[in-house]
Formats: sequence, structure tokens, C-alpha cells
Amino acid sequence: MGIVFTKLFASLFGNKEARILVLGLDNAGKTTILYRLQMGEVVSTIPTIGFNVETVQYNNIKFQVWDLGGQTSIRPYWRCYFPNTQAIIYVVDSSDTDRLVIAREEFHAILEEEELRGAVVLIFANKQDLPGALDDASITEALELHKIKNRQWSIFKTSAIKGEGLFEGLDWLSNTLKSGGG
Amino acid sequence: MFSLFYGFWKYMFTKTEFHVLILGIDKSGKTTLLEKLKSQYSNVEGLPPDRIVPTVGLNIGRIEASNTKLVFWDLGGQPGLRSIWEKYYEEAHAVIFVIDASLPSRFEDSKSALEKVLRHEDLIGAPLLILANKQDLGEALSAEELARYLDLKKLDERAYSYEAVSAYDGLGIKESVDWLVEAMERSKRTEMLRARAGLANSVSS
Repeated sequence: MGIVFTKLFASLFGNKEARILVLGLDNAGKTTILYRLQMGEVVSTIPTIGFNVETVQYNNIKFQVWDLGGQTSIRPYWRCYFPNTQAIIYVVDSSDTDRLVIAREEFHAILEEEELRGAVVLIFANKQDLPGALDDASITEALELHKIKNRQWSIFKTSAIKGEGLFEGLDWLSNTLKSGGG
Repeated sequence: MFSLFYGFWKYMFTKTEFHVLILGIDKSGKTTLLEKLKSQYSNVEGLPPDRIVPTVGLNIGRIEASNTKLVFWDLGGQPGLRSIWEKYYEEAHAVIFVIDASLPSRFEDSKSALEKVLRHEDLIGAPLLILANKQDLGEALSAEELARYLDLKKLDERAYSYEAVSAYDGLGIKESVDWLVEAMERSKRTEMLRARAGLANSVSS
């Protein structure tokens, strides 16, 4: 997976600083995905303002991960991480049907952020290995992805534990960013 | 008062942005068409056909042609994904329906998907361009043959046309875009969508 990743993203942004946000509710599988990609060491930082951001630096691309949902008081600080964001990878636990409504609300709230307007959106319908996991069409419906009309999006069924679907998603992402993005 | 005037001014002089939906069953060539449009009409180099994977979501292409702005929405065509098409109907000015003209075994599937599109009330009056795609393959049906096969009813109230194209090598793309732009400029639906947008703007500003 690590080598594949190198191939896909090596020359993508030239020397430009780029950022890819990996977001989702807690326990969606975001960190597992980062480890699966084997791009480098995942560094966990807890800023004094009190939310936990994990960062993987890959050449000039920064992958940053944090949990959505919960405390609203820290939300304004998220904006520090928005500039130069080319893409958002939104990770959903497809088996956690009880929290799909919250996942949807958090997702659309993030998309309204002015500084993220140009970012393309990749959705991972994760945890497909678990019984009762909804498929891509059902997650599309549940997240109301059709409300996205001004940027490109795509959804992939993944199992971070098994490493399935991640490559396909990243392939789409690198192609989309290459061909002009949103 | 000012906002009313401003709304009117915008209504008169803003370049209209046309939204065109690219629909069709899976493997008909919608994304290849989109990438070809991008290559031919903008300075973005579209993806080469061999890099294109099945769409599970939305691809967008923005181009300018004949002094108008066109936004293309390319949606995935696999059976499970078609339910999402109608969510985009309301804001669409026109529809391109792509058919793999070289694959008769899937014509029935295309025909029923297209008939369903045409029945939807959110698309009333939207100009329809049916593309007999994959003309680069020798066995492809011509536009006339495909029209005869589809034998569509209930087309009389909307502007429609058939075009033989190859999204792969670019045959017929320019003719298609020219037809679309003209059809949308003349369509009542465009007026309706513009009035609705203008109204929304003047209320919100």
C-alpha cells in the first residue's frame, strides 16, 4: 500500500503545500486508514485548545485527522486547519446506523466552510467487513450526498482493517486532483 | 428598491450558467465524454480514457462555449446509483443521455432508464440530447438506427436531438455542444430557471 501511495501522490502537487483532511465521527476508522497507507509516522498532537489532531506528512502533503461531533466550543479552532485543503476524505462507520444522522449533519456543516469550498470530497463507507454494514448506495442516501452540486465527490466501500477499497478511492482522488479538481 | 434593481440588472446581464446532466447506464461512456469536453473546451487536460474508472458519485466539468458557461454533472450509471439522478433534475437546464451504440444487448436497459428520466416532472421541458456513442467501434449503430430502435414517445413537448459521437476520439462533440447551447437558449425551461434564481436572489439580498 505504501508504494502504491507513493506512485499516486508523488508528483501531484509539485512543490506546493497541500492538505488533505481525513474527517468523520470518532471510531469511524480514520486512524486505521492512515496506518494502512503506511506513509510515515502518525504524530498525535493535542493542542492546548483541546482537540486531538493526528498528522502525517508525506512530502509536501499533510494528512490531518480529527474527530467531528461533540463539543461545539472548540469548533472555531478547526479553521486553523482549513487553508490549502485540496481534498476531504470523509470516513463513515457503515455499520453504525444509529449515528448516521449525526455523521450527515457534521459532514454538511464542514462542507459549508468557506475555506473548504474548492476541496473535492472522497467518502469511505468503511467497516464493510462488519455484519449489517450498509452499502455505498445506502450511505449515499443516508448522508444526502446529492446535495453536493458544486464539487466532485465519490464514495467507496472500504474495510480499513482488511485494506480493501482504500487504493481505489485514492486512485480516484489523485485522478480528480490531476484533472483539475472541483 | 436597490436590491430589486440589482436583481434585475443581474438578471439581464449576468452570463447564464447552464447546468447539463450527463446520464446513461453504466459503461456507456459518460465520464469519457466529460473528460473529452474538458480537453476540447478548456485548458484543463482531461483524463485519458484508460485512466477512467466507474463513477460512484459526481464528476463535474466546467467549460465555456459560444460565449456561455456550461457546467456538466456526470453521475454514476450503475443500477444502484440511478436513484440519485433525480436529485439533480430540478436545477438542470438540459440532459445528455449517453448510449453505447455498439452494444445492442443493453439497449433495453438504456431505453427503460431513459423513459423513466423523461417521465419525471422535475425535468419538464428540458432539452434532451441522445448520444449514439462509441462510433469509433465499427459495429456501432447510427443515430437514425438508434432512434428507430428506441422509438420514444412523449418527446413532442421538448427539444430533442440524436447525435452520433465518439467520446473516445471526439467525433460529433462540437456539434453536440452547439445544439445544446442553442436549445437551452431557446428553451422555456431556461427562462423558468432564471426567473426562479432571480427571485431567490432578490429575496435573499
